[in-house]
Amino acid sequence: MDKQTLHINPVTRIEGHARITIELNEQGSVQNATFHVNEFRGFEKFCEGRMYTEMPTITPRICGICPTSHTLASVKACEMIQGIQPTYTAHLLRKLMHIGQNLSSHALSFFHLSAPDLLLGFDSDPIKRNIVGLAEANPDLALKGIRLRKFGQELSERITGKKIHIKGIVPGGMAFPLTEDNRKALLHWIPEALETVNTGLSIIKCFHEEHAEMVQSFATAPTLYMGTVGPDGTHELYDGKLRFVDAEGAILEDQIEPQSYLNYIAERSVNWSYLKYPYYKPLGIEHGIYRVGPLARLNIANRMKTPLAQQEFERFKKINGGKPVHGTFYYHYARLIEALNDIEEAEKILNDPKVTSLHIQHHGQWNYEEGIGSSEAPRGTLFHHYITDETGKLKKINLLIATGQNNPSMNRSILDVAKQYIRSEQLSEGMLNRVEAAIRCYDPCLSCSTHAIGTMPMIIELKNNKGALIQKIERT
Amino acid sequence: MNTIHVNINNIEIPTTADKTILDVCREHKIDIPTMCHLKGLSDVGACRLCIVEIEGMNKLQSACTTKVADHMIIQTNTDRIKKYRRITTELFFAERNHVCSVCVANGKCELQNLGYQVEMDHVRYPFLFPQCEVDTSHPWYVMDHNRCIMCTRCVRVCQEVEGAHNWDVMNRGHAVRIISDFNTPWGESTTCTSCGKCLHACPTGAIWPKAIVQGQLEKKPEIIEELIEKRKMHDGF
Repeated sequence: MDKQTLHINPVTRIEGHARITIELNEQGSVQNATFHVNEFRGFEKFCEGRMYTEMPTITPRICGICPTSHTLASVKACEMIQGIQPTYTAHLLRKLMHIGQNLSSHALSFFHLSAPDLLLGFDSDPIKRNIVGLAEANPDLALKGIRLRKFGQELSERITGKKIHIKGIVPGGMAFPLTEDNRKALLHWIPEALETVNTGLSIIKCFHEEHAEMVQSFATAPTLYMGTVGPDGTHELYDGKLRFVDAEGAILEDQIEPQSYLNYIAERSVNWSYLKYPYYKPLGIEHGIYRVGPLARLNIANRMKTPLAQQEFERFKKINGGKPVHGTFYYHYARLIEALNDIEEAEKILNDPKVTSLHIQHHGQWNYEEGIGSSEAPRGTLFHHYITDETGKLKKINLLIATGQNNPSMNRSILDVAKQYIRSEQLSEGMLNRVEAAIRCYDPCLSCSTHAIGTMPMIIELKNNKGALIQKIERT
Repeated sequence: MNTIHVNINNIEIPTTADKTILDVCREHKIDIPTMCHLKGLSDVGACRLCIVEIEGMNKLQSACTTKVADHMIIQTNTDRIKKYRRITTELFFAERNHVCSVCVANGKCELQNLGYQVEMDHVRYPFLFPQCEVDTSHPWYVMDHNRCIMCTRCVRVCQEVEGAHNWDVMNRGHAVRIISDFNTPWGESTTCTSCGKCLHACPTGAIWPKAIVQGQLEKKPEIIEELIEKRKMHDGF
């Protein structure tokens, strides 16, 4: 039998556009699998020559799912250039908006993109295996997911007037305060949001029990983990220092200033994807693969900030006896624990008497040539690095995006799942959906756009090493 | 001055011969879009948005530079005029790099408002995407030529109101540029007083303060006329 290649193109129910190539050997077993991101954006290049203060407005356009994280990383870099800090109230409002974005992104990932697999089945009809099919089968749950996303977006809208591509987060603080009416309106959402996340937790735990073997064996290759933690190792999304842990949970680096990220992270390019391959510098390309995002943040953290999330976090930690949980499928569980933490923290912030203060901005001007900012995007740690001339015009920009940092692990997970499920002699659409699901666990954000729901065609072609088509599976 | 009568959009209006068609229309709340006109400054008829039809004349005339005359019959909003205004607006957008979503003036831009006013749902002409300079050399302000529509309001306010004449115009056609002094970086200008009047006169996000981001821009073009009126009062005393 000749060597064969399988293409999954495009990968569906993710944010962005990508394809997967699976190479089979002469025996029909999986030999290699690669994840290609075939979009080119060019933000780092076309922003050169702009004023650094424009970056908090330009960079949210990188992504329609996590614009707040980009804005936060960007304003932090601008604040380093100006040498100023935001006011206390601005910190609170930024945290609220960041929580809102994290919540709506996690709701999208779990209830809209992944729940169809969990509730309708990996092998169910692909025409129905999407949010529309889910809405037909379980309208109540689909609506809850949509409303949770709405709450997340309202956290931005009620502060700045915009749900997506938010404005108002400015160097030195915020441009808009939170009114008392809006504060009360947001507090009304808390009970409903908590109930929805608890429903999600029940679904995922039930799935874990019913499919224990699959969950525990689904892309379990150990990696390092990186994320942001507070001073005592508490889970952190908005502000904090970096921590690296190894596959056994031992802390490799702790309390690293995000500004020194280049001492610990290096990148390499590959000729088959626009997405780079970052790695933990001290261990090199081969052993330095690390993951970021909800699973990583829970794996590196000592505790959660809020009581209900802490209870769930303790259950999570028991999965691997306190050591890092490597199973990629547990990303979903980690995402929901973070969502729980988000809602509890939002309630706490909304009850802070200073949240409606009008002291929302410190004012500064260009003072330094270099600025680096970071934030924890829903998909992981995000860095913005700007170098300017002496007038504030940008000379060099480096954006290290969370999905990029997960790229090496995503490739490894695809290979693991493909080896587990793909057999050329019994190729089925359900098998290929499992390979896609490995990607979906990471909730990658490959572009600035939300994804079409179940309407994008997927074509898988099985070809021999001479390029002749052997088999074709088409999803329309 | 003697009263004359003009007919604008089939309405008889008494006025005086020292006024322009635009003056009379604004006095009587007849809407005519403008870009290069700014009350208080001299008019140059550059943007061609205020074009009107005058009975007996084949060519469209700019309302800001044409004086009214007795028994003049004027139409300000015919299909022909609307068509040309739409074309002019599209050419503004096609000539330089106007990206409203990330512009500091988003929501407070006269060009953006014009797009809505003439119902510009797309641009039919190829975008030129010129490589334009962003002059950040001034300590407080930025001059972004990507967003400049060559209305020359900055040139006129600097010359006629501030009296500094820092700004002027260089080249012709699509190579035309606003320049500071003899084409030196703005920060090195020996004539600029950093008064900021050009910032308030600018209808787009071409001139803006360094310290602000989108959502914080406050332009007050009306202060130019206020300043002129206050000076007249001062001279009167």
